[in-house]
Amino acid sequence: MKQFTYTITDPVGIHARPAGILAKQAKGLDSTVTIAKADGRSAAATKLMAMMGLGIKCGETVTVTVEGGNEEANAAAMEQFFKENL
Amino acid sequence: MKDKIFGVLQRVGRSFMLPIALLPVAGLLLGVGSSFTNQTMLEAYGLTGVIYEGGVLYTVLDIMNQCGSAVFNNLALLFAMGVAIGMAKKEKEVAALSGAIAYLVMNTAISAMITARGGVEAMAANTTTSTLGITTLQMGVFGGIIVGLGVAALHNRFYKTQLPQVLSFFGGTRFVPIVCTTVFLVVGIAMFFIWPVVQTGIAALGNLVLRSGYAGTWIYGLLERALIPFGLHHVFYMPFWQTAMGGTAVIDGVTIQGAQNIFFAELASKSTQVFSVEATRFMAGKFPFMIFGLPGAALAMYKTAKPEKRKAAGGLLISAALTAMLTGITEPLEFTFLFVAPLMYAVHCVYAGLAYMLMHIFNVGVGMTFSGGIIDLTLFGILQGNAKTHWIWIPIVGLVYFVVYYFTFYLMITKMNLKTPGREDEGEETKLFTRSDFKAKTGVGPDGSAPAGSVSDPVSAMILQGLGGKANLSDVDCCATRLRVTVIDADKVVDALLKQSGASGVIHKGNGVQVVYGPQVAVIKSNLVDFMDSPESDNLGSVTAAAAPAPAKAPAEARQDAVMSAHMSGTVVPMDQVQDEAFSTCVLGEGVAIEPSEGKLFAPADAEVDNLFDTHHAIGLVTPEGVELLLHIGINTVELKGQHFTAHVEVGEKVKKGDLLISFDMEAIKAAGYLLTTPMIVCNTDDYQSVTPKAEGAIKAGTPLLEVKA
Repeated sequence: MKQFTYTITDPVGIHARPAGILAKQAKGLDSTVTIAKADGRSAAATKLMAMMGLGIKCGETVTVTVEGGNEEANAAAMEQFFKENL
Repeated sequence: MKDKIFGVLQRVGRSFMLPIALLPVAGLLLGVGSSFTNQTMLEAYGLTGVIYEGGVLYTVLDIMNQCGSAVFNNLALLFAMGVAIGMAKKEKEVAALSGAIAYLVMNTAISAMITARGGVEAMAANTTTSTLGITTLQMGVFGGIIVGLGVAALHNRFYKTQLPQVLSFFGGTRFVPIVCTTVFLVVGIAMFFIWPVVQTGIAALGNLVLRSGYAGTWIYGLLERALIPFGLHHVFYMPFWQTAMGGTAVIDGVTIQGAQNIFFAELASKSTQVFSVEATRFMAGKFPFMIFGLPGAALAMYKTAKPEKRKAAGGLLISAALTAMLTGITEPLEFTFLFVAPLMYAVHCVYAGLAYMLMHIFNVGVGMTFSGGIIDLTLFGILQGNAKTHWIWIPIVGLVYFVVYYFTFYLMITKMNLKTPGREDEGEETKLFTRSDFKAKTGVGPDGSAPAGSVSDPVSAMILQGLGGKANLSDVDCCATRLRVTVIDADKVVDALLKQSGASGVIHKGNGVQVVYGPQVAVIKSNLVDFMDSPESDNLGSVTAAAAPAPAKAPAEARQDAVMSAHMSGTVVPMDQVQDEAFSTCVLGEGVAIEPSEGKLFAPADAEVDNLFDTHHAIGLVTPEGVELLLHIGINTVELKGQHFTAHVEVGEKVKKGDLLISFDMEAIKAAGYLLTTPMIVCNTDDYQSVTPKAEGAIKAGTPLLEVKA
């Protein structure tokens, strides 16, 4: 299991569009990716609705967990993605 | 902030229960004792030959009378200790001791101040009293409650305090009585200056209620009933029953404050000719609707139950109605309709207020210890004689109430098709909990992967799970009918599980949760607390966690075809023509868009609102078939930050096809430079074979638009 934390810089937070792109990315990986908020709520990154339901805003710190498959590479890819898009 | 206040009030109300639970017994002693030592009563029933002053029976009865009075006379002390116990988080016995000491210290300090300022004669009339032999200010139960709350706060703050090595003997719990003594010495001095001002204020408020006459009585009764669902009724009626707000009277030369205290002082007094209605008007109203009205309502619910379910509903209703009639504990019955038909409860509140008013008008002088059941009616009404109490009006008004309640409820249930017990739709029958249900619910299979199947106390296990596991509970207690819990994360509470464990309702207020079980709640609570001490309860957390993903997967296996209707009126736009890459390349999922001609977004199908963006420009819905829909008004409109959008629904709300979800100002949004094209996207497109638009060109909201094939 690999984990990293990231503070959202996108001014609109993880909204419909970024969430959609994130879900698409996550679906392409052979690991299970989970996004968790500071309040303990979490959602699978492939579940668009669940992720939008978290209502993650700009400035919030999320914990991303990558489990199974090629964790090392997938976690790195996810971290890269977060930095570029969120 | 509001939630926090509710949480505190809930705990205060709950902590009243311990001293209040004593009142029926004390009332019984006082009621029997005083009835049979009252000269008028004895003469009326020709008992003077058997019970006479100096005789053994008379002495025994007089002892009962006086011992009962002792409880009522020292209620403030009982509240000081009881509230401290109820509000203390741990080491409650220390809080009790501290409460008693603080109460004595405060009153002694006040007493010394009174002496220093020229004695009782220098004080305003009727503002002083003698408590436990201490001449002090007349503070009623408020004095006790102030002490109880203050002591509990100090206790929770200091019971773990470490003192330097030399003084360590006085540390920890031993420090609590010490700090309480010093603090309440100061509080006592302060009270000497503050309380007279409060007394004036309370008396004025009481006067207002007293002077507003019959209407005031009606409002009092209505509010008292309306507060029951919130569990705040104890906080409301206590001041009327126990302080100057409920009136002041001089009985046998002693100044008495509070409606209930006045009634019981009159009961204990052998010179009482007629009980003062000015006091009993805050009590007598309960009798007609509790003994007669609510059973009428129960009969109506029984009659309207489906024939095949009548027997099962009857058992529930009869026991609840009998509890109300005998003891005046009405919550089991009230809660059967409060949650399914709040309107019926509103009617009930109005009728209850009227009952208080009618009893006031007919001069009914019957008091009570706790509530208005047959036991209290017998002791404090019938046994006291009609001449003193005019109790005969209770059955007279009561019979009318029975008929009125029966017909009102019967009509409301049938006309509005309310789902009272025995009228549930097929499949949602409130069945009793069995172990197999529990297994099915928790998702623990016969492979015994988790210990749930072998849990020693499945009901407690289920309650604990329903409350989000042991780690989620910060505080568990109960009152007469509800489990009162403070949880850490309110989102983890599962109402369905709690209801299956036998609860008739669940009330949420922030982190305060009240689970309504009925009078057996005390047993449920002890079982739950015992269970929480067993190691089994720790393992349950993992069961809950393991079971949680299961329901999420379940619908995936049972996908069904569905058709979504147009979510707005306008012109259909295929997704690949939407001028936004994220939508047109179907990154979010497949779907269809509409260029609106009217600024209104409607529900395309029956669904639950899964999420609503706080900018109100987009909304997520989940249909019963499991279709996850995203409706996104306009392109990039998130940047408007909610301006020009008005949401008409809330997260978690169930909507019907065609319900208005969001309205928006088309002109303003266009003027701000945004496109209004509104896509409807199936977010879980991957779970389906195909998602296909079925219409093009101009379309009216509500006509079939998008076909989803499983």
